[in-house]
Amino acid sequence: MKSLISCLALAVFAFGSAVSGQVIRIGVVGPMTFIQGKHHWQGATLAAEEINAAGGVTVGGRTYTIELVRVDSNEMQPGPDAVSAVERAITASKVDFLVGGFRTEAMLAMTEVACDYKKIFLIAGAADNKLLQGRVDKNYNRYKYLFRVTPARSTYLAQAAFIQLREVMDLFRHELGIAEPKIAILAEQAEWATPIVTFLSLQINAPLAVGGLGGRLVGTWRPSALATSLTAELTAIERAGAQIVFTVFSGPVGVVFGRDWGRLQIPVAAVGINVEAQAQGWLDATGGFGAYAATVGIYASGVEVTPTTVPFIEQFTSRFGELPLFTAGTYDALYILMDAILRADSLQTDAVIKALEATDYVSTIGRIVFDELHDLMWGPDYVTGIGVQWQDGTPVAFWPREWRPDPQKLPDLVISAPGTVPYVIPPWVRDHWKGK
Amino acid sequence: MYYVRYLVRYLQNEVLVLPSRVIVLVFVASLLAFPLLTQDPNILRTLIVTALFSLYAVSWDLLSGYTGQVSLGHALFFGSGAYASALLSSHLSLPPYATVPAGAAVATAAGLLVGLPCLRLRKHYLALATLAFPIMLTGFVLAFPGFSGGEGGVWRIARLTSTRVAEYYLILGVALGAVVVLWRVVESRVGLIFHAIREDETAARALGINTVRYKLLAFALSGLTAGAAGALYAHSSAARIVAPGVVLSLFMSFQPVIWTIFGGAATIYGPITGVFVLYPLLDTLNVVIPKYRMLVFALLVLLILRFMPQGISTWIRDAIERVCPSCRVRNIATRRACRACGAPLQAQSPR
Repeated sequence: MKSLISCLALAVFAFGSAVSGQVIRIGVVGPMTFIQGKHHWQGATLAAEEINAAGGVTVGGRTYTIELVRVDSNEMQPGPDAVSAVERAITASKVDFLVGGFRTEAMLAMTEVACDYKKIFLIAGAADNKLLQGRVDKNYNRYKYLFRVTPARSTYLAQAAFIQLREVMDLFRHELGIAEPKIAILAEQAEWATPIVTFLSLQINAPLAVGGLGGRLVGTWRPSALATSLTAELTAIERAGAQIVFTVFSGPVGVVFGRDWGRLQIPVAAVGINVEAQAQGWLDATGGFGAYAATVGIYASGVEVTPTTVPFIEQFTSRFGELPLFTAGTYDALYILMDAILRADSLQTDAVIKALEATDYVSTIGRIVFDELHDLMWGPDYVTGIGVQWQDGTPVAFWPREWRPDPQKLPDLVISAPGTVPYVIPPWVRDHWKGK
Repeated sequence: MYYVRYLVRYLQNEVLVLPSRVIVLVFVASLLAFPLLTQDPNILRTLIVTALFSLYAVSWDLLSGYTGQVSLGHALFFGSGAYASALLSSHLSLPPYATVPAGAAVATAAGLLVGLPCLRLRKHYLALATLAFPIMLTGFVLAFPGFSGGEGGVWRIARLTSTRVAEYYLILGVALGAVVVLWRVVESRVGLIFHAIREDETAARALGINTVRYKLLAFALSGLTAGAAGALYAHSSAARIVAPGVVLSLFMSFQPVIWTIFGGAATIYGPITGVFVLYPLLDTLNVVIPKYRMLVFALLVLLILRFMPQGISTWIRDAIERVCPSCRVRNIATRRACRACGAPLQAQSPR
């Protein structure tokens, strides 16, 4: 009897070892009780289900399936929770890789933990340059485990927003005959917004002939990221005679802007960065006043950045009932990781890092190639993001559409993502400025 | 041999006679022996943060519980200690044994700076004034991002020790040492004066007590303790980064209030109990039921405040011990006569 029990125990142990050896555990990190974390998880879930349904990943002759581990970093709530969550995932849940993340200050701490334990962390949700710049380049051996999959770093996000501003200014010139559009900057009080404001202030007044925007800056307003009313700022912007407002919002003040701007019918067209305007619930959140708001974004209805964009959006929307946020980029992160593992034909960390560095993968947001900082390459051949505007109750893409990245050197290079539509100047803005 | 005999006699006559002291002894011994049972990095990290937050909560108890100077902006002291230490480590590459005392010193200075303009303020006016200070420091941090790291915070901070166990013992040692010193302070004449200021400042002044000096002393001592906790936190494995959203947040200011009220104010051991119950509980709830963790946490705090308004540790102490009505010496609740004077003990348990 005793020997039978011993045999059974041995068999169970052996079976358990075999099963656990054929699983790749991936920690999906995010603020899981918030929409950003929810989309981290949902994006990763879709990818894991697809990969497992296709037979998993075969490495060194053994087939592995993917098992996701939910890592609630509670990043919205300040404190040591984020560090705890990641360390627990590595030491207790024994995750092999990490994907996700959202808030910069939490990400800086969490990635330190990942590097301590030599775990690869694919960042999918945080844009701050500092996450990689000054780390991978200055101390490669410590920070080589970090890669960014989405979104593009904040400098490039700003660059995309400038290009979109230029296109909206051109629209004012051609459609309304305003040769020198007046611009107001409305940016939340946050560190990441400051360099954007400084750079834009210099660019707006510079003439078109020298590569500037050829407009006129009428003022800069910096409300709190948690402001509950922007009536005073918007009224001042209207009085200053602005025709376009360039927004720089990542926090809830973005919703306040959409609500007050639409409710007061302030005669300025909006363009820039407004993270809240990327969410499916934007119109509801703004009480229906957020129509025609525009922002740099990642996903929109019907736009086909790459052949996988539309199928992913459709699948995500039908499964979870809403458009994916940029944090759903964990979907691409998982595929990029599996692609690297397959090419490395190994699960050894250093081998996977080398394979990741050689990544050239067409994802749902563009062609992903990592630079020497392990950051996304940005530009016409790589990832650019899109310009999103709310038209007829739907977020649609208005950029890149007939975009000429370098008219002087490459006059024939014109980029248009299928499914993009023209930017629409809000009707009350058009009525106000027509003929003036 | 003499000292061993003295220790045994002291344990027999002073510690083992009271259950509350036995609990403290067992608690401290368990903490010291814990790494012999397990060296799980998660559990050790949780205990490290708990020990640091205990020190932080005790600093609030000293200022607000004992002296009655209610501070709703205590994160100023924790944050200034953490920031000073982190900046010195990050910019000048100074080792923790230099930066931690410097951080504590900066927080002490911050305590005096806050104390001076707040001397004439009382009750909710004082509470609201203190609330403004961490917001001002946050503004300062955001105004000089090149130096302070801005919203993203300061990182590349030197670690306290190379191993988690060494870090645990170092932080536990500092926390225990600081608590013992503060215990001696509040049990001394100074502690009595703190009580007197809280109960009736005018009466205390009428008795010739320089209340200004003692209030400033309370602010400085509280700042020193919270600053030391903040500086150690900055170098600990739990932090890795010092950002205004973490160390200067409103949540960080309110936490010591919740811990202290939960455990029992003006007791020193109350806030420690509060932190050692609530922090690991919240950490566990974050894993088990992350969605409802704050709801469960708030319900628990409400229930404790409803049924144990003096705090959980005071409630337990009063349930297992009685005070002699004659000589005020504490006795185990099962005794019928006082262990000191022999007077009969009453059935009820007055504080």
